[in-house]
Amino acid sequence: MNADTGNAVTASAVDGGVEAGKGAGNVLEASSVEAGYGERSILRQLDLRIGPGEIYALLGGNGAGKTTTLSLFLGFVEPTAGRVRVDGFDPVAQPVQARRRLAYIPENVALYEHLSARENVAYLLDLAGQYEGDEAIDRALAAAGLQGSAFDRRVGGFSKGMRQKVAIALALARSVPALLLDEPTSGLDPQATSEFNRLLDVLRDRGIAVLMVTHDLLSAADVADRIGFLDGGRLLEEVAADGEDRFNVRALHRRYAEQAA
Amino acid sequence: MSPVRRIAREEWRALSRDRVAMLGLLLLTVLTLVAALNAAEHRRTADAERGRYQSQANDEFANQPDRHPHRVAHFGHFVFRPLNPLAAFDPGIDAYTGHTLFLEAHRQNGANFGDVRQSSLLLRFGQLTPAFILQVLAPLLLVFVGHNCVTRERESGTLRVLLSQGLGSGQVVMGKLLALLGFAGLVLLPALLALLWLAASGQAAWAPVLVLACAYAAWLLLWSLLVTLASTVFRRGRDALLGLLATWTVLVILLPRGVSDLAGSVVAMPTRFENAIHVEREYQALGNAHRPDDPKFAEFRDRILEQYGVTSIEELPVNFKGLVGTEGERRSSELFNRYAAEVFDLQERQNHLVDQYGWLSPTLALRRLSMTVAGTDLASFRHFLEQGEQYRYDLVQRLNRLQSGEITYADDTDPDKENRISHAHWQAFPDFHYQPFPVDQALRRAAPAGAMLLAWLAALASLTWLLGGRLGRAVR
Repeated sequence: MNADTGNAVTASAVDGGVEAGKGAGNVLEASSVEAGYGERSILRQLDLRIGPGEIYALLGGNGAGKTTTLSLFLGFVEPTAGRVRVDGFDPVAQPVQARRRLAYIPENVALYEHLSARENVAYLLDLAGQYEGDEAIDRALAAAGLQGSAFDRRVGGFSKGMRQKVAIALALARSVPALLLDEPTSGLDPQATSEFNRLLDVLRDRGIAVLMVTHDLLSAADVADRIGFLDGGRLLEEVAADGEDRFNVRALHRRYAEQAA
Repeated sequence: MSPVRRIAREEWRALSRDRVAMLGLLLLTVLTLVAALNAAEHRRTADAERGRYQSQANDEFANQPDRHPHRVAHFGHFVFRPLNPLAAFDPGIDAYTGHTLFLEAHRQNGANFGDVRQSSLLLRFGQLTPAFILQVLAPLLLVFVGHNCVTRERESGTLRVLLSQGLGSGQVVMGKLLALLGFAGLVLLPALLALLWLAASGQAAWAPVLVLACAYAAWLLLWSLLVTLASTVFRRGRDALLGLLATWTVLVILLPRGVSDLAGSVVAMPTRFENAIHVEREYQALGNAHRPDDPKFAEFRDRILEQYGVTSIEELPVNFKGLVGTEGERRSSELFNRYAAEVFDLQERQNHLVDQYGWLSPTLALRRLSMTVAGTDLASFRHFLEQGEQYRYDLVQRLNRLQSGEITYADDTDPDKENRISHAHWQAFPDFHYQPFPVDQALRRAAPAGAMLLAWLAALASLTWLLGGRLGRAVR
């Protein structure tokens, strides 16, 4: 037990690695990764493993390296040391194969404004080679919680929550083993945040490995199976959900506040 | 459907909603059609006019009454350069060169009546022809329409979304390129139809028409590559637009203009007046062919006397005045041809220098290829002048031979005799028929410019492939 958080700490990157996720194999895996932009080092000895059906929340302040971690799995950033794998594929050497196993939802979900929700999903599914007709898309949109009346509306007028639902629908329709979320609840009201977290529960039940980077401690505590604290590019601590209460939110908050300070 | 085609289709959909793109395309289509119709009408009118004038000049020459052949030589003749059918597509330097030659004895006149000298200043600015529109305006439209094809995705964040669907960055770039190429195809279509009509209606040969079609297709492919490449390299659409506009200004406007000026200063040409003074000075030194006793022709006279085995020109079985005229024309023509060749050689050196800059500006390469294939380049003009000069020389020498064969020396030196000969002689003279370069020869001359265009295409395609493949790495 960790005295500070009151939760089980599975491992610390500083102490030499994180245990594998709860699945047998890891869908997302980073081992001793160093990365940065030019001369600027962002990630230092990052170790991260997320298994199927596991939701991992990565918390950290601005500049901690959260978004860079996502870019690492997307192959947009090349590690200077260490190893990164997405379902066994190297995102730098095999970007297409790796990205085919990922869905990515950025903080501000970017969609084609002139297309409707259904057309956006259809287009992106078509590009991924996974388009199976509009019925499947409608099912995914409904499962993501988007109202039927919005299916044929242009997304230009959608709220952030609605856009996220479109992106989730795309992830559901693509049947990918991993989902990357960048600040998914920022700008959402509490009800929308709760709805979003229930959607993540659905994804977990489907066996999808979810990595979300966030500032939202409460949301992370609500939905994550594990929470990692990232600071200065190092994974300082990991906390796993435990028991019915899952996390000691008060302790987590204190820990987070100390780190931010 | 492949991801590349799917991206292209979606880009097309976005373009079809883009008012600038659609309005630009409409304007350019209308402009090209108007230019093609206008140029075709101008060519038809000019060709008919020149044909009519040629026929009139032929009639006037043939219908001269019985007269002394040397008077016929000084009466002179006009020949007109027929327009190449493809001049309707690319008039090249035709508007700046003359199309009418006045042929007479002892003179080699330059061509007169170029369109520019007879028209307003607007013509000097640039003629509205299909070639001008495709060379200058079409790239500009491609720049405005395509500069943000990739940057738009980057700026809106959809590039990450696209790539995260498992696409290779090269596929994204290829999709954008394919869409822009489709647009470029529409831009090319009216001019292409005009070209095909020229060939299908039998006015122009198929081979040069197809070469021109391919060259302009390559030109728009080149700009599509350049635009897509800039949109891939620049982070913001505004920067891509500025970069492309600067590139267009340099490649299409400044370099062609600057290189011409540079060639003019590196290879200096004598002025027309300087040349005329030099020619006149040397011409005077040749002797007066109207005077058989001119000392400059003494050696010639001695040779003729020896050849005929007589001791005086009066004993010659032929009219010595006609022989002197023949010899004088030979000497003066040699002089004129030497000066003309020197001027043309200087102009060709200038052109060669300009052509070398085709490696720097593909506009120069395209212009060279287009003018050459359309038969409106300097070499074609020279070809006409040389044929005109050959016709003049043959005509005057025929008349000189008539003078020496049909009129005796005694009669010819008698001031009281008119010494007319039958007009049937010049009625039997052949008319002037300009023979343009054979198609294969024109195509061979255009080949180096074609190679330059291909080199540009290969370089840009390689760069697009290389930098487009790294697109994903640049996304943060």
